Amino acid sequence: MMLRWSALFFTLCASLLLALSIGEQWINPFSVTDSFEQMILWDLRFPRLLTAFAVGGLLALAGAWFQVLLGNPLAEPYVLGVAGSASAGAVTGLMLIPDSAWVMSLGAFIGAWIGILFVMFFSHLGSNRMLLAGVVLAAFWSAVLALLLALLPEQGLFRAFAWMMGDLSHSDIPVTVLLSAWVIALVCGLMLSRALDLLLLGERHAEALGVDVKKLRQRLLLLASAVTAIAVTAAGTIGFIGLVIPHLMRLLFGSLHRAVLPASAIGGGLLLVLADSAARTVIAPAELPVGILTAIIGVPVFLFLLLRRS
Amino acid sequence: MPELLTLTNVAIERAGRCLLSRLSCSMNAGEVVVILGPNGAGKSSLLLALAGLIPSTGETSLLGKDLHHYSRHELSRLIAWQGELPPTEFGLTVQQRLNLAVTEGGGALKSVAKTMDIQALLQRPLGELSSGERQRTELAALMLRDAPIWLLDEPTAHLDLKHQIQCINMMKKQRSQGRAIITVLHDIQQAMAVADHLILIDGVGGAEYGEAGLLFNSGRLSQLFDAPVVTQGDLLVPDYGKRM
Repeated sequence: MMLRWSALFFTLCASLLLALSIGEQWINPFSVTDSFEQMILWDLRFPRLLTAFAVGGLLALAGAWFQVLLGNPLAEPYVLGVAGSASAGAVTGLMLIPDSAWVMSLGAFIGAWIGILFVMFFSHLGSNRMLLAGVVLAAFWSAVLALLLALLPEQGLFRAFAWMMGDLSHSDIPVTVLLSAWVIALVCGLMLSRALDLLLLGERHAEALGVDVKKLRQRLLLLASAVTAIAVTAAGTIGFIGLVIPHLMRLLFGSLHRAVLPASAIGGGLLLVLADSAARTVIAPAELPVGILTAIIGVPVFLFLLLRRS
Repeated sequence: MPELLTLTNVAIERAGRCLLSRLSCSMNAGEVVVILGPNGAGKSSLLLALAGLIPSTGETSLLGKDLHHYSRHELSRLIAWQGELPPTEFGLTVQQRLNLAVTEGGGALKSVAKTMDIQALLQRPLGELSSGERQRTELAALMLRDAPIWLLDEPTAHLDLKHQIQCINMMKKQRSQGRAIITVLHDIQQAMAVADHLILIDGVGGAEYGEAGLLFNSGRLSQLFDAPVVTQGDLLVPDYGKRM
């Protein structure tokens, strides 16, 4: 097990170094030659890779929590419609003030929390009914989003689609806030890890073993939704990290949450750092929306996992 | 010293249907109470209510205090419940599942695994086990807990003959060590082998509690199950009719 943790940390360090070096121009961080390179490294790439790391980690944590909360390994952070409501909020922001990324982010944040309030209304339902309610809410928000996109002026469409496919280039949340959220979310998750492990046995068993399941579900729903809202606000909707990473980490580190949560927080960050590095360089100087790359990496990985499990 | 568990006029209603009305009984340490009744009569619901997992009306007193006044944590120290098999989607291994059940004062994992014949399965995911192996894992998880009351919902379900006998013997051993056990069983022979008292639930709200020796008679059981039960020597057996 120590070997696997060491491998994860080594891969993380190597990925961070690679992400710092790679771009339109290759820069060796250990031999920076001029102030321009220094500016690119430390003012552009470094904050962006930290943003990618924090957002990826938050999405993976939220995915792990939603999977346990809903008792469904196919759950992911956007399963209850929070991404749809955040997207609707972001597009509303874009309609109100077209050129302000800040207003778009604010719209996404407000939209995400409106989505969460809807979800909280159904938190007393059992896992399956809550999942069903989430799917219906997601469909509702998709319809709202489609309506808003139909009304959006043509020049705003590209910006809206780029944001909806995940965009780390316009993040308005300071890196320090995102990293703090990553740490707080992980600590909160670890504090709940024993109760989460018991929830893996099903709600009845967890309750019989002393867990106040109703309270735990409410806390978990709020925590996972808040984390999703922060991640969506910072980088738009980035798929597959929240679905694939917790599964991958369970395969590598076992099912207990004292291992799955830190491994997911690191693994999710690592995957998004790599995907963002690729998104910045594949068609440089232009950029691909990072969500495309996480999907391209995520889909085969997930299908491989499914085949392996069966 | 108050009785371990006392029920006074306990009633259970689920989805608008009255499963049980006015059940009164009491039990002490070192007793086995077997619940018998047809499918859907409310046997499992009674166990869930006694574990505090579903609501009930009437008075359920645990060590002299109303059951509903205990916190979930306190209840988990006093009552161990074995019910449906846990889900397997998240890849928990047998050892991880057992570790989640361990409480101070409970049995040692290795010796419990040996008793339940699952030492060789410890590193395997629950999803790779047969239903019988998973049931034995659940029984082992129960033995790792130091609760004075066990509530068992069909503990011999899925088990082969060897492990059914082992399970019944384990219950007898636990009784001799002072454990109070309330269990749902479908096999009349198993019930006769282990029961001190019976709770008969008829499925239309009626319930009867009494000494096993008094309630084990073919007429009463035939009436309860609406099926022929006959006496053969000291035993009561279902009448399957002649071999075709």
